[in-house]
Amino acid sequence: MSGPSQERQRDLDRHILRRETHSPRSGAAVIAACLVAATALYFMLESMLAALGQPTWLASPGMMLQWIADLPGDTPRALLGAAGMLLALFGLIFLCHGILPGRRARHVISHPRVAIVVDDEVIASALAKTARVAAGVTREQVMVVVSARQVQVNVRPTSGILLSESQIQGAVEARVADMGLNPVPSVSVKLTDSGVIGV
Amino acid sequence: MNGTPRALNRFLLSVIGLVLLVAGAGAGVLAVSPAAARWWQGYAQAQLDWLLDVEARTRLLLTSQSWIWLAVAVFFLLVAIVMISWIGNQGKGRASTLLDYQGNADDDGAAGAVKLSCAVAEHALKSALMERTDLVGVTVTSYDFRRQTAIKVRVLPRQGVSPHKVAGEIADLVAALDELLGFEVPVLLSIGSGARSRFTKAERVR
Repeated sequence: MSGPSQERQRDLDRHILRRETHSPRSGAAVIAACLVAATALYFMLESMLAALGQPTWLASPGMMLQWIADLPGDTPRALLGAAGMLLALFGLIFLCHGILPGRRARHVISHPRVAIVVDDEVIASALAKTARVAAGVTREQVMVVVSARQVQVNVRPTSGILLSESQIQGAVEARVADMGLNPVPSVSVKLTDSGVIGV
Repeated sequence: MNGTPRALNRFLLSVIGLVLLVAGAGAGVLAVSPAAARWWQGYAQAQLDWLLDVEARTRLLLTSQSWIWLAVAVFFLLVAIVMISWIGNQGKGRASTLLDYQGNADDDGAAGAVKLSCAVAEHALKSALMERTDLVGVTVTSYDFRRQTAIKVRVLPRQGVSPHKVAGEIADLVAALDELLGFEVPVLLSIGSGARSRFTKAERVR
């Protein structure tokens, strides 16, 4: 493989990884498009009826515009305010979907040939297994939460058996280092004060 | 890595969000502030009078109605069409041809074309991955990404399987695929957890 082609490959990989670690906003887009399309079709119907001089279905465009121009008019103020707030809330949700980065709960494993993304859930379950083996407890006693920059390991020890926090931490950190994740998360281990009996 | 128009998604969502936000906030302000309501009624009535004046002057002979309502109807029809095509553009971009190579007699000694279907790479990877017991689900799909065919491999490992080990072994498979095909295809490996891997037992013996 020549230089420029490899450069191109890396560039492509970077774009693919960026797309895979961020939400495409398809869901919100489909909802917004359905709402806007339905509203537009209704307005189209009413203005078509007005253009043809036919009786209106619910209200003619002129009546609607007059109602808007007369706002608040004789609409109950509380109702108008609540409807406005609701509308603004929907607008805010759509706006946030448009502007916020929308990172997915995924990490990248750097590899020269293949672009690799891992769901945080998979990392969590692998680390839970490591922590469980290091601590010598059952599956139910370990809970791992993985976020972009942090791995939190919660272990409930068996009553009467002393666990070493640093040993678990070391094992989990070694496994995280093996994975070669990007961004690299920091590991914190927490042993709960109360133990479990009869496992 | 499909062809979902992400920039368009975000732009249109922002615009729609902004319009709804302004309309909602405006209605809220009109509900609580009589001064704002007075100003709005004066302002909007002037605009409406102008519009009705235009409407009265643009009546068509045929229907004795104004053509501006026709124009408004066409506008909303266009909006609806744009919205529907926007929905249609989500998740498109599947590819079917992996390689389309035109040979010539001067270059490699034979005139003719080589065409490889994406199914070649998909089946090769899938059949290699289906044998593994630590994966509960494998999907291999091809996409057209920036005028290049790329392969997406989505695997769902069992609980507790180390993702980097799976990744390393699949990277070896991809290297073997490169050898088989004679050229490199961009590959995305996505390691995830589905409902099936979540509810199946972890492997006891490995």
